[in-house]
Amino acid sequence: MDMVNTFQQHQHAALPRANHDERARQEFTKSLKQFVQQGLLPGLTPVYQTRAAKAFEKEHGKPPADRWDIRKAMVKDLYFQHYAATNRIAQELLWEAVIGSVERQLPELEKAIADLTASNPAPLESDPAFPVPRYVSALDIHCMPGGYASEIDGKDIAQGAIYDRGVYLYAMGYMGPDNDDMGRSVCNYVKRKMPGFQPKRILDMGCTVGHSTVPFKEQFPDAEVIGIDVGGPCVRYAHARSKALGHDVSFMQRSAEDTGFEAGSFDLVVSHILLHETSGQAMPRIFRECHRLLKPGGLMIHADLPPFDLMDPFTQFILDNETYYNNEPFWGAMRDKDQIGMARDAGFPAETIRFDTAPMAIMEFAGADTTYTEDAAEALAEREFTAGEYAPGGGWEVLIAQKAA
Amino acid sequence: MRKLERNARGKRPQFYETPGMDEAMSMILVLANELSVVRDRLDTVEKVAAAKGIMLDAEIEAYEPDQATLEARELRRQDFLARLFYVARKEAAELATQDTAERYSKALDDIAVN
Repeated sequence: MDMVNTFQQHQHAALPRANHDERARQEFTKSLKQFVQQGLLPGLTPVYQTRAAKAFEKEHGKPPADRWDIRKAMVKDLYFQHYAATNRIAQELLWEAVIGSVERQLPELEKAIADLTASNPAPLESDPAFPVPRYVSALDIHCMPGGYASEIDGKDIAQGAIYDRGVYLYAMGYMGPDNDDMGRSVCNYVKRKMPGFQPKRILDMGCTVGHSTVPFKEQFPDAEVIGIDVGGPCVRYAHARSKALGHDVSFMQRSAEDTGFEAGSFDLVVSHILLHETSGQAMPRIFRECHRLLKPGGLMIHADLPPFDLMDPFTQFILDNETYYNNEPFWGAMRDKDQIGMARDAGFPAETIRFDTAPMAIMEFAGADTTYTEDAAEALAEREFTAGEYAPGGGWEVLIAQKAA
Repeated sequence: MRKLERNARGKRPQFYETPGMDEAMSMILVLANELSVVRDRLDTVEKVAAAKGIMLDAEIEAYEPDQATLEARELRRQDFLARLFYVARKEAAELATQDTAERYSKALDDIAVN
């Protein structure tokens, strides 16, 4: 049964407020994405099997062998063209609808955020001269105009505000009313799988506006929680947003490759959908930095989407569309990396390194928020994994490693 | 008012082989977006009126257009359709008057010289 998605974002004091028509315009882009996934995506399989694969075989004298062959076959097919074009346009209209709304209310928003910033005693650190890595500055990732780091002065929060609203729509509400399902799921995983583990200092790498960071403060209230990101407007917005949600979380503009924190100073280092937005050279450096930062016995957990090696080529092809059509340059390549080997090379003992699934926390919102109905949350949590849909059914893939005690 | 960036860095892919089709598709979906906004706004009008005791929804369903309204609406719909199909109208008119690309080129050449 298709899910009727009426999910709505929780309106906190830092979040832009859309007027009637802006909201309707934004809702439409969420509906369009939902339609592309439920109405157009399933058709790609029969189109491939009954038409595109045969056309490829006729032309090349052999069936498509891998995701690159499948891509060659599919890009010529009109059904695929409609699917991919509509998906891209939905993404563009989403940002357009959000940016117009943020632009209209920017002065009020800046004031609200300045007030929240002033009332959050946890440290905030940002620097307009910060060297933003090329893998973030070269292309505007997932087509968000301006990207994570563009700013006009050392106080600018516009890109953070755009991201907070835009990513909720991008995720179609699948991440919960505060867009924090990944962080919540990882917290739950840590608490349930390692009940004795009480981290005192937690680092969230590549935190953007702190969607996944805040749940760590909520679930481990005695811990010091720090979120870092290379985007200045993101960390500034994150600091205000955490206060708006009632938590004093620290945010700093720093790179996960070289954080500048003292060695052995964290019990837990996490990241959520960070790795696929870095690069082939940055990824092993980030793993080494995690190992350096951890205390003996400390845990590294990276939550991202699964590697390609266990997927069939057609599934790989569907996922890899993000690389080509959504300004995600490292999306496909990252999935071919040997992450287990990378963690081992960074110094983690082989027997502690593994992939696992952190069940989606979405069911916790069921009933607690009016738009997250029991039926919709259940439908979301119990889906099968379908490549091309926003979130996997069931749970998030996590890579875990523990530093030697 | 500060203008925020509207274009994402990174060359936009082309999905269709037919030139102009990518632009046409994006324009169609922008129109669909605005149509959806208007439909939502109309729904809000009905809901707000209902909250004040005016059941617009039921009144709209019960409404019977009079003859003048029927005529005005039919004229408006035909006018809209004519605009929607203006390129087809032009093509038929060209065929009816034997207007051709050759005649157009010839006119350019003639006028340039004469």
